[in-house]
Order: sequence, then C-alpha cells, then structure tokens
Amino acid sequence: MTVRSAFEEATDAYRLPRLVRLGPNLYGAAFTLMKMVPARHIIRKALADGQIGPDTVIIETTSGTFGLALAMQAVHIGRRLVLVSDPVIDERLYRRLTALGAVVDRVPAEAGLVPGGFQRARLDRLDELRGEHESTFCPEQYTNPENPRSYASVAELMVEALGQVDCVIGPVGSGGSMSGTTRYLRSVTPECRAVGVDTQHSILFGHPDGKRELRGLGMSLMPANLDHTTFDDVHWVSAAAAYQSTRALYAQHALFMGPTSGASFRVADWYARTNPDQLTVVMLPDEGYRYTDTVYNDEWLAAQGHLTPSLPPEPDVVTDPTVPADGGWQTYHWGRREHPDVIALAVP
Amino acid sequence: MADLGFKGNTVRRLREVHVVAAELGVAQGVGWAPAHHGELLQGTFADDGTTSERRTYRALVTLPLPHLGSRAVFHPSQDHWGVIGTPELAKVRRAAVRALREFGGRPGTAKGGQIEITSDVPRGIGMGSSTSDVTATIRAVADYHGVFLTPEEVGRLAVAAECASDSIMIDDRVVLFAHRDGRVLETFGPALPPMIVLGCDTDPGREVDTLAMRPAEHDDHEVAVFGVLRAALRRAIALGDVGLLGRVATASTVLNERYLPKPRLAELHALLRKHGGCGIQVAHSGTVAGLIFPPDARDAALRCRDAVRAMGLPITCLIGLDETTTEREMVTA
Ligand SMILES: Cc1ncc(COP(=O)(O)O)c(C=O)c1O
Repeated sequence: MTVRSAFEEATDAYRLPRLVRLGPNLYGAAFTLMKMVPARHIIRKALADGQIGPDTVIIETTSGTFGLALAMQAVHIGRRLVLVSDPVIDERLYRRLTALGAVVDRVPAEAGLVPGGFQRARLDRLDELRGEHESTFCPEQYTNPENPRSYASVAELMVEALGQVDCVIGPVGSGGSMSGTTRYLRSVTPECRAVGVDTQHSILFGHPDGKRELRGLGMSLMPANLDHTTFDDVHWVSAAAAYQSTRALYAQHALFMGPTSGASFRVADWYARTNPDQLTVVMLPDEGYRYTDTVYNDEWLAAQGHLTPSLPPEPDVVTDPTVPADGGWQTYHWGRREHPDVIALAVP
Repeated sequence: MADLGFKGNTVRRLREVHVVAAELGVAQGVGWAPAHHGELLQGTFADDGTTSERRTYRALVTLPLPHLGSRAVFHPSQDHWGVIGTPELAKVRRAAVRALREFGGRPGTAKGGQIEITSDVPRGIGMGSSTSDVTATIRAVADYHGVFLTPEEVGRLAVAAECASDSIMIDDRVVLFAHRDGRVLETFGPALPPMIVLGCDTDPGREVDTLAMRPAEHDDHEVAVFGVLRAALRRAIALGDVGLLGRVATASTVLNERYLPKPRLAELHALLRKHGGCGIQVAHSGTVAGLIFPPDARDAALRCRDAVRAMGLPITCLIGLDETTTEREMVTA
C-alpha cells in the first residue's frame, strides 16, 4: 500500500538503523551514524521553532560523531557551525568536519590537567563563543530533552519491524540513545528491559573518574540526559574486550562497526544466549572506518596489548558499583534505581 | 462469529429494498451507518509518521460495531427550502443541508426535505450515535440523488457537519482518521484481526457531551509516543497480532486518562489480567470501555463478562462472539 520513496536529503538517509538478525533472539540496530538521530531532529526542531534564524551560528562542544552529524545537517540548512573539541581530535574526523565547512575550535592541551579535564574546558570555551556571536544556537546534546526524544523514531522502527522487544542493550555516553529508545519502547511494552554498557573509570554508574581508553561511551561529568531509572543492568567493558568483540562482530556477522558497537555486542550476545526467551536488540552506533588503523589492525592490537587476555566468556557479577575492576568485563544489577539511591547503598 | 470486516451488509440490504420502492414511484433516499465502541487508538500524530515533522493532526482508529446502527430516510421536498428534523438532531440537519448543497444543480435535486432517523445506538456514552446518524443521513440524501460517494467524501461531509467525526463511514478498511480534518492519514489494512471485545459502560447514567469537550492538547513527548503506538498498530493489523493490538489500545487508554478518566479502570485492568485478556480500549469521548481477548478465548471472555456484570457495569457489546451470545443490556432510549 506504500511505495518506496527517495530520501529528502542525506541526513534523512543516514537517520535510521538497519535491523539485522544476529542470533535466534538477537537483532542488531546497525547505524551508519547514530548521532544523526538527535542532530537532525534537534536542528530541524530549532529551525521550525525559530531558535535558528538566518544568521544564527550553531555551536556545540564535541569531539565525536555528534559533531559530524551536526556538520552534515548544517550543510543542508546553510548555517555556520563551530565545534569546540579536545586538542587531540582524530585527524580523519577533523578533515571530514572541516571539509563540510565546520570550524573546529580546539581547547589547549593544558586543560587536561585540571579537574573536569577537557570536558570542563570545552564547556567554558562554549560559553565564551556564545558571547562572541549575535545569535547562537547550542544543541546541547547532554541536557537537551530533544536528544532522548529523537529516539522515538528508532523505537517506532523496532516496534514495527520486530513487535514486542523484551530487552534493549547499548552503550551509554550522553544517555540519550538508551534512555530515549527504552522510554519509547516501554510505551508499548512497559516490561522491556534495558541494559547499559559503560567502561571502567567512567562516572556514569558509580566509578570514580579516571583514564579511559575506550572512547564514545563513558563520561567524566554526569549528563542530565542520562535517566538512571531506565536501566535494569549495567556492564563495564574494557577497551581490550570491546576491541576483540568488535572484530568478532565483523568476523561472525560481517558487520563492520566501531568499538562501542563491539562492547555492546559482547554484552548482547551473552545476554541473548542466557535469556533465549527474550527478543533482544543491540544498538550498534557507528561504522568501522574510523578504526581501520587501530581496532581493525592486528599489529596495533598486539602492540597495545589488546589481544590478551582473550575475551571473557561471561561477566563478573559485582556487588559494589563504585569500585572499578582492572579491565575485563563486569556487571551490576542496577534495578531501575536513581543514581544517588544506588551510590548511597554502596558507600558506607 | 460476527466479523468486523463485513460492515457494508446492512446498507446493501436496505438499498435493495429502496430500488423496489423507487420503481413503485415512492421517491425517498435511504442510508445506514454502523455504531462503534470507541477507539483502539486516539491521539495527535505527525502527518508523515515521523516525529520530526511539525504538522500534526488529531486522529483516531475506530473500533466499529456493525450490529448496531442508525438508519436515515430522506423524504425530499421541491417546495420546502431547508430540512425538517426533530430539534435534537441539529447535526443531522446540518449534514442534510451540506449534502443537498453538494448535489445541488443536478436535475431533479431536492430543495429540502425531511430526515427520519431510526437508531439503536446508545447516546452519550461514546458509541458513535451522532456520527452514525450523520453518516446515515448523508448516505440517504446521496442515495436519493443516485450519487455514489466514496467513504472519504462521506467523511469530509460528516466532519463539516459535526466538527469532529469518528471513521465509521470508512467501512472498507482500517484507517487512522484525522477526525477534525476529515482526512485519512494512513490505511492499516482491509480489516481488523479476529478478536473478542467485551464492552461495558464504566459510568452508567453519565452522558458525555462531545461538543463541550475541549480537544486534547498533547505535548511533544506524547506526540512521539503516539508515533510509536501507530507503528505498533501498523504491525499488529498487518500480521493479525491481537496481543500487540491490545498493548496499543491499553497505552492509548492510559494516556487518555489525563483528559477523560474512566472510573473503575484499575478494577477492569485487574479483571483483564486475571482472565488472560490482552488489552483495554475506551471511548476517548465517552464512558464505554472494552476488554480485548484473542479470538479463541471465548470461555475466558464469557467468564470475564460475568465478573464485569458483578461489578454492576452494564455490558455494551461482545464483538467476535456469535450472535446468540451477543446480548445488549443497554437501554437504548
Ligand atoms: C560511537 C558512539 N557510540 C555510543 C555513543 C553513546 O550514545 P549516547 O550519547 O546516546 O549515550 C556515542 C556518543 O557519542 C558514540 O559516538
């Protein structure tokens, strides 16, 4: 009754994931660029609401894929975009951003030495920039409620294609994708479980802040868009475990994805096997191209020591979420509680 | 088993009678329209089904009730301008005038006339008595003029006459109908899947004045939720998944509580769970509610009916069970 039609513009084409079967009860939601979901939605809404005028400069702090998605959408609407980033932004990403016409404003390297690190310095620089321009719009992916809300479109697709989803598993950064997708899935299936994937020394689910190798998930500051009451379980996955399972996802399923996808696949593959009666969907947020010299390079993996120890078959169950393990893979039953409620129990 | 897919039967039967009547020189038009039992889904929806789209419509998916309905007879007049009808049938008068204007200019057009309504649809509880009357009237006037109207054309005229109409006139498929714009936003399929709906009046004696109700104002979050429910219903109807359909109806019911709460809904939910039903639907502008069961859960539905009766709530319908077990306790005043 409906005919297939062409996409309106590139960001529309990139917006929704492809749902791919990975096991008897496991499906992957494979995104080209998951951050396109909030970026496109937030910019279009701001344009429609008049928050973005003809001369408005869009400003955001990001070193990651959200910036790339914004840069693409900025091209469609012909607005200037300034991205405040870490001093060490991935060179390839930098070139892709500037080729789209975005301005990348890097904070100085010394900023990493003070508490809050680069994340704090980037927010301060953002405030400065806002003062310098007449009209600015800041998408604010960490606090803007339109970030989680934009994932209603992803939930729509899952519900239409798969019906009742029993469990959704995915990486947590701003929290927008997991909080939003789960919230909208639960409008049809309130019992739908949510499993968040984080990495050791990220503060999101209780660890003290520390040096992290795995990028794209985990945070040093708590984002308002992370609704802790979403999550039934939390997992912490090390860089080595994430990289190895990124390769396993490629080798076993021919899905060429990034390391946050690998970390989530690790958890989801185990979860779906141990819960064969639950239809499980795993979020796979970006593709592997940015990681060809690293995660997809055996010499690099060996030199960095990421091939040992080999992939653990199951997570260690921890009882205290505030104490990070030294690498590996751990899980904690979060029980849809608020962050302070969990931490109050853990800290005597 | 009474089938939700066969809604046109009665209309066709009446038409046959009319053809004979016309040959005898009795000039009148006849129309019929079914009742409904509230909605499976009602809310505010983005036009193209994506949440980023700004233009939104209030829209609904009607649960038709084909064994009740309104019959309208149009007696034309060449010397009388306007339409006579009993005073409580203001919407019917408007519908007849609209329809007459629509067909004006044709040879043999009536200038006015009289509408006679016979209906067994209970009034004021959300079973579509008003749209049923209005639709039957439009069909009767069209019938007299020998005009074929598509279901959408009838829908547009009905909305023009009564501001907001449910979609019982779109009787050849299941649609998401913008009830204030007279527009079909989406066609879900040819018919609803087989299922049992045990209907009751949650607030016997209370009448809801549809015209006095303020339209629901849904915020961005709710619009996003309705998009997800719409996608779920699309799947449920395409695959005949009554379980999923029930979940959609339940979610719509819960969202509606903010606007027109149904007394004793919690008790009905408990009964639903106890008897293995899969969802609960309501009239979003009325007092009726329906407990949805899989088509093979006949015994459970009948046991549940007894429990609903024991709560003191009158049974309004039993869709999906054969005629002999379908009974109405409503006083169709
Ligand atoms: C590759 C990748 N995976 C996962 C995430 C986490 O998603 P969210 O911010 O919605 O929690 C991000 C966020 O930047 C990301 O870039």
